[in-house]
Amino acid sequence: MTDDTSGRFSRRTFVKTTTMATAGLVLPRTLSALTPDAASAEVIRIGVIGCGGRGSGAARDVMRAGGEGVQIVAMGDLFPDRLERARANLAKVASEDAMVEKQFKVTPETLFSGFDAYQKVLATDIDMVILATPPGFRPVHLAAAVAAGKHIFMEKPVAVDAAGVRSVIASAAAAKSKNLAIVAGTQRRHDPAYVSVMRRVHDGAIGELTGGEVYWNQGGLWNAARQAGWSDVEWQIRNWLYFTWASGDHIVEQHIHNIDVANWAMGAHPVRAVGVGGRQWRTDGAYGHIFDHFAIDFEYPNGAHVMSMCRQIDGTANFVGERFVGTRGTTDPSSRITGQQSFTFAGEKKNPYVEEHVDLLASIRTGKPLNEGQQVAQTTLSAIMGREAAYTGQAIVWDELLNASQDLAPPQTGFGSLAVPPVAMPGTTKVARTWNG
Amino acid sequence: MRALVRRLPGVAMVSLAASCPASAPAQESYTDSVTGTLVRFEMVKVPGTDLWIGRTEVTWDLYDAFALSRPDSSEGRSTVDAVARPTRPYGAPDYGWGHAGFPVISVAYTAAQAFGEWLSAKTGKKYRLPTESEWEHVARLAAGTSTDALAWHVANAGGTTHAVGAKPADALGLHDLFGNAAEWVTVRSGRPVVRGGSFRDAAQAIGPSARAVQDDTWNERDPQIPQSRWWMSDAPFVGFRIVREP
Repeated sequence: MTDDTSGRFSRRTFVKTTTMATAGLVLPRTLSALTPDAASAEVIRIGVIGCGGRGSGAARDVMRAGGEGVQIVAMGDLFPDRLERARANLAKVASEDAMVEKQFKVTPETLFSGFDAYQKVLATDIDMVILATPPGFRPVHLAAAVAAGKHIFMEKPVAVDAAGVRSVIASAAAAKSKNLAIVAGTQRRHDPAYVSVMRRVHDGAIGELTGGEVYWNQGGLWNAARQAGWSDVEWQIRNWLYFTWASGDHIVEQHIHNIDVANWAMGAHPVRAVGVGGRQWRTDGAYGHIFDHFAIDFEYPNGAHVMSMCRQIDGTANFVGERFVGTRGTTDPSSRITGQQSFTFAGEKKNPYVEEHVDLLASIRTGKPLNEGQQVAQTTLSAIMGREAAYTGQAIVWDELLNASQDLAPPQTGFGSLAVPPVAMPGTTKVARTWNG
Repeated sequence: MRALVRRLPGVAMVSLAASCPASAPAQESYTDSVTGTLVRFEMVKVPGTDLWIGRTEVTWDLYDAFALSRPDSSEGRSTVDAVARPTRPYGAPDYGWGHAGFPVISVAYTAAQAFGEWLSAKTGKKYRLPTESEWEHVARLAAGTSTDALAWHVANAGGTTHAVGAKPADALGLHDLFGNAAEWVTVRSGRPVVRGGSFRDAAQAIGPSARAVQDDTWNERDPQIPQSRWWMSDAPFVGFRIVREP
């Protein structure tokens, strides 16, 4: 438990705590022995791994949340052009905003590209890292970040397969033992309106939850036309949305937000899922092999069922949201409760993408690091459960999926040829499979 | 007429269904269309000017014909010069409130401008956003009836936009100029402006003088850098109406 001091922040300020004394254990270092003033005086140095629009956006959000107490000091991306674009975009923000100018401190020596960029970012003098690559890479990057003793913000989803979820659960436990913070990009958990409604729901405002519906129905998303000179691997990673090994499919990549709200409301993960789905509209090879619609019946431990529906098809009815039914009322958890204890959130609206960093930074500074790793791993597996119900056509049981031999990582270790995996076929596709199964 | 109404989607159907009040003098008008689509939209002559203005706010039907299509030769220019198309939103910019026949919302000022360029290329006419003074001129002519009866506002809208033309027409024969979606106008410099108020505003706060300047909260929750120049994550109250120059 002494290897968690490699970061500048931890090396200078982490001290042993006596509050968790247990015979035989070397205690984790925390900030709890510091006065709040001393802790808040420290600049938290941050690296970014995965510099697409969301990685750059998360960097901007943590700078909004942290003020002069944070600096972005290192960035890494697989592709040099994406890295440079992200650097230039953030430099432009810095040129227009005096605070960001103080916060954005990357140098040519702290910009890294290539498959090992994440290791190079983690080897710099950072205290915290933002993990925002396509989700297929997340489990490996998370494990490396925890091993390097960094606090972590990671985007959702955090894995694309059962093997990845198991890895994330192990990393979350390791982070806990090292007193490292993990906050995940399921930002509704940090939205004051959702938090306010959910607190009332959990206090019984709508009685016992008996069911619900969650939706993410929208049109199609962006696609990067294949360019001459791109290998199969480069083409697939630049179009990561459309390959299950990289994104988890859209039910995992996007609809996870609403499934997370279902788990939050129910206070549990689903135990069983049955569903349908297919690839009906977005059939061109440019869109890889993922589905364009899913409808899943999730069963929770108390017997309640939550209907989940997600779609990415142009020209169809849009809706993103959640609704739950209880014995004494209903709720749209984004803002209101209807029933015996009706409630409409009227508090201050705050940007949840910033609030998640506010909460993360505060937890680091007070020596009580948030650790959402287990929670977001469970939500990720819940979404995978829905995907597998549709892909295989079978009823998917939580424990079996969690322990399944399912590892979708391609065998490649670099750029080169890589076939497009087959489109899943209900009745034929098996949960236990590899990248091309 | 029934057959005609049945044949026409969205805009035209609604505008035919909700005709001008008998007391209002009928303004000269015409119906235009976009080649290759079933979408129709109506333009009304603005008295005392050479200008025409949309009878309704631009609908999703019409905007989708722009946003979901790829540039082609019918735009009358090479694909190199073609009007850029909006990026795909990550989410539902219509909030699930309604799409066909509803006003387009969540669109950035530059997106509304690009739409005007596209519609001009498609039709061979000069369509664009109104200037602020043009919009004010129209608003002065249109005002005269109670906005409470004519407009969707916070007390009667139920928190959403509504299909265009569902409220009676104003003195000029226009629908929803006040309330429903606030409307982009062009400004000489500085931050973009919407006029007229929206379904989120109190009845007394909408009307000819209602004016809002875009601020950072309108796109606060776009979690990407750079933020979208096409869609605004937190502006479901912003749409637009087009004018046509002679």
